[in-house]
Amino acid sequence: MSAHVVPACLSRVRRVPDHNTNPTFPQSCHVMASIDDIDSEISSVRARIASLHAQRANLASILLSTPHLSTRLQQRPVANEPLRRNASKIVKKQTSHNLENVYRACAGITAYRVRDPDPNAVDNGNILGVRIEVFVQSKFVETYHVLFSRPSARHKSMLRVHHHTVPACIPVKQLANKHLPQSQRDASKTTDQDLIKFGKLLRKELVAWHLRTAAVQKMRIEAGIEGKGKRRRATAEEPTYGKVLNAFVSDDEDDDEVDEEEEDDNSQSHERPIKIIDVESDLGVRHVSVAWSNGRTAALDIAKDGDITKAVVKTADGSRLPDLERRATGRVEGLLDRWST
Amino acid sequence: MAPHATTTTVPDYKNIPHAHRLPVTHRDVVRTFSKLSRQSLISLAQQWLAKKNRDFCRPYLASDQDAEDEDVDEAYEPAHSYDELQETYKLMAARKGGRKESMDRILEGDWRKGISMYQLATAEIQHLLDHPTTLRWTAKRMARIPNNRLVKDMEVTNESEHLPRFQAQTFMMNLAKELTPLMKAHYLITRIKTLPITILRVYIHDSPYSTEASLATDTSQGTDSAKAVFFIWPNGSPFVYVSLATHLGQVVGDEGRHLRDIVQQAIPKAFSRPSSRYQLTPTNFTARSLSALLAYRGPGKSNAAAGGWSIFADSSFSQNALDFITTGRPDERKKATGDDTTSGAKTGPGRPKRALDDAETTAVKRRKDVAEGRFGSSAKPNDGQGIERFEVRIDDPFPAIPNPTDQQEEDLSNIDNSQSNRDRRGRPSMLDRTIEDMEAIQDEEGEAWVPDVRLTFTGSHVFAGVRELVEKGVVDGEKMPGWMTGEASVTIGAVRHGRIRTKEAGLGV
Repeated sequence: MSAHVVPACLSRVRRVPDHNTNPTFPQSCHVMASIDDIDSEISSVRARIASLHAQRANLASILLSTPHLSTRLQQRPVANEPLRRNASKIVKKQTSHNLENVYRACAGITAYRVRDPDPNAVDNGNILGVRIEVFVQSKFVETYHVLFSRPSARHKSMLRVHHHTVPACIPVKQLANKHLPQSQRDASKTTDQDLIKFGKLLRKELVAWHLRTAAVQKMRIEAGIEGKGKRRRATAEEPTYGKVLNAFVSDDEDDDEVDEEEEDDNSQSHERPIKIIDVESDLGVRHVSVAWSNGRTAALDIAKDGDITKAVVKTADGSRLPDLERRATGRVEGLLDRWST
Repeated sequence: MAPHATTTTVPDYKNIPHAHRLPVTHRDVVRTFSKLSRQSLISLAQQWLAKKNRDFCRPYLASDQDAEDEDVDEAYEPAHSYDELQETYKLMAARKGGRKESMDRILEGDWRKGISMYQLATAEIQHLLDHPTTLRWTAKRMARIPNNRLVKDMEVTNESEHLPRFQAQTFMMNLAKELTPLMKAHYLITRIKTLPITILRVYIHDSPYSTEASLATDTSQGTDSAKAVFFIWPNGSPFVYVSLATHLGQVVGDEGRHLRDIVQQAIPKAFSRPSSRYQLTPTNFTARSLSALLAYRGPGKSNAAAGGWSIFADSSFSQNALDFITTGRPDERKKATGDDTTSGAKTGPGRPKRALDDAETTAVKRRKDVAEGRFGSSAKPNDGQGIERFEVRIDDPFPAIPNPTDQQEEDLSNIDNSQSNRDRRGRPSMLDRTIEDMEAIQDEEGEAWVPDVRLTFTGSHVFAGVRELVEKGVVDGEKMPGWMTGEASVTIGAVRHGRIRTKEAGLGV
């Protein structure tokens, strides 16, 4: 499809000085053997173009962020006035973007203003946006927004959640009811509104949720269920209609199944290994269930801050294991260590 | 669970077990299996033969053969073991062939003695996943009934949980307890791997008996009611989707509807616990496509950010906080080159002819930008999140006639002499004004004339269609009211002051 596109791209690439580092760079376009070769070459060139674009953009923003660049642009005489104006515009854009990013990265919660394009919007479409950054495992993983409108013409400070991008497992509505009360008809007591507190608590909920998710994910990796390139080979055999939750199979059959799986996936431990075969949690990561290869199961309740508050561990025949239950309570992060000791 | 049917026909209080079989000529069996593709049929058969499912899906093996009723010309030789059968289906999957061949092999060969309830249920769910738009779903919310005694119900604490807890086994037990005195039913609840949902299928068997024989004889009664009801729980959200009609074009009789309602009413009861009781409340959202439901009433970020607000849900409004790049993004680059060509044409030699083109393209571009601003990243034709039907009732007073400056107002004035048709046929619509609505309108508008104007948009993807109309210039993108972008995220609603009226304060999750 891109026979005529490639040469154009190539010419653009060639201008970049370090093109000779790439061994696949098509010096000999005429000896292409097959379509596959051409395709792979095209895709490698495309990837290279993309990486060079990214590099260029990166360099550009570094250049534009140079200190005192705008003053120097102002002071030096230039031949072309419009170009300078354009340049200082770009510099200004970069500077304001940098400032915004610094605030977002350091404050965690930032506010901005947007306009509702709806011609019938309340308050001429003035919207206050609150942006919450979630920083988990040395990364900014997600940004959430809550957008407020001012529905009351008389009480200009009264805010209402207009739209938001907070997932359903976070009680944003309950928090809004508490800290941003909406008095329906009699707008007399609007003093209870506390946007700062709302933002703080919402951020706490969001970060706690991400931390719980990350902790359970880590637990899965520790238990060797997923991650580290060790995908479960069962995917092909797993039914497309999913895992039937009310199919109670007889015990001996179940054991057979488990034994098979053990033989297949387990090579590191030798004598009768009892290992965790499944760690499941709900989306809000408040309830986690763990299954072992010998039919033992555990159900855990996790508080929002990541403490395991309740735990039930049962063997395959239904008797409880109080020792494991006692050791389960505590932080969710060290659960497997506590269990293994 | 008894694996085989008892011979007595005493009314009982049991569920229909997975292993009970329907004859292969049963209407439901034929209907379901004739819709499945070859690939789905073979993969289903393979899963039925898996060790853990064998209890529920016994095939016809050579050992089951009776010496007496030996058929002379059997089309399908019964297999001797499960492994042999598994091998057969593996070979079938590997080679090409017709759909009919695999269906016949299943119905007339390996499961000639009947298809178990488990098999039928998994087959129907497979079909549902193969064709995610076959059913129409209504999204409901599982809302906790407020309890005055415990005020801290609504409090957000470290331990509090605002979503109903879904524990499949407990839920199934409670549901069966609610329903078995009223009807016999087969339940299958399954968590889907490919979508974040849990599906419950309830096969309604309106009979006092739960035996295999009573299941089979049900065909002769010929009640054309839909027998299976589906419920879907999106993981980690307070919603439940209820299937309206089980099969496309199938008429749901009154009796079937009542039975379905009974099942639906039992759902919140099965969820309730002492001191936290639930009810199903409507959310004014109905759609066919499961991905649309998951976008508007799902677990993710997009529930309360539909229409133009979708830019906040994806990362197009604010990139990562550590992403400092402002120039040279691929999309910007594209735009920039587009600008270059137009400006180049302006200064070029062929001026008079190009000028017309330019005016057109800039207008088109502007309309595209307006549409982008109003719809954001939503309402793309191929996003699979189409809504088929969007209905609104306008509760605003009729615009004053003396100054019909706008095109729209002229249009409306043509309609004004047609009286609101009170003699609407059929059942009362959800859009009918209630007495409270009338009073509210009276209070606010006084003597102003508020005709009962209703608009219905239908199509395969209503909001993508509106977006296209904006891009084509048919609808003025700047004056268009917000509800036409779908940002209210409902499929039925009343418009007041130019906005969809929301009962609750604030858009809830």
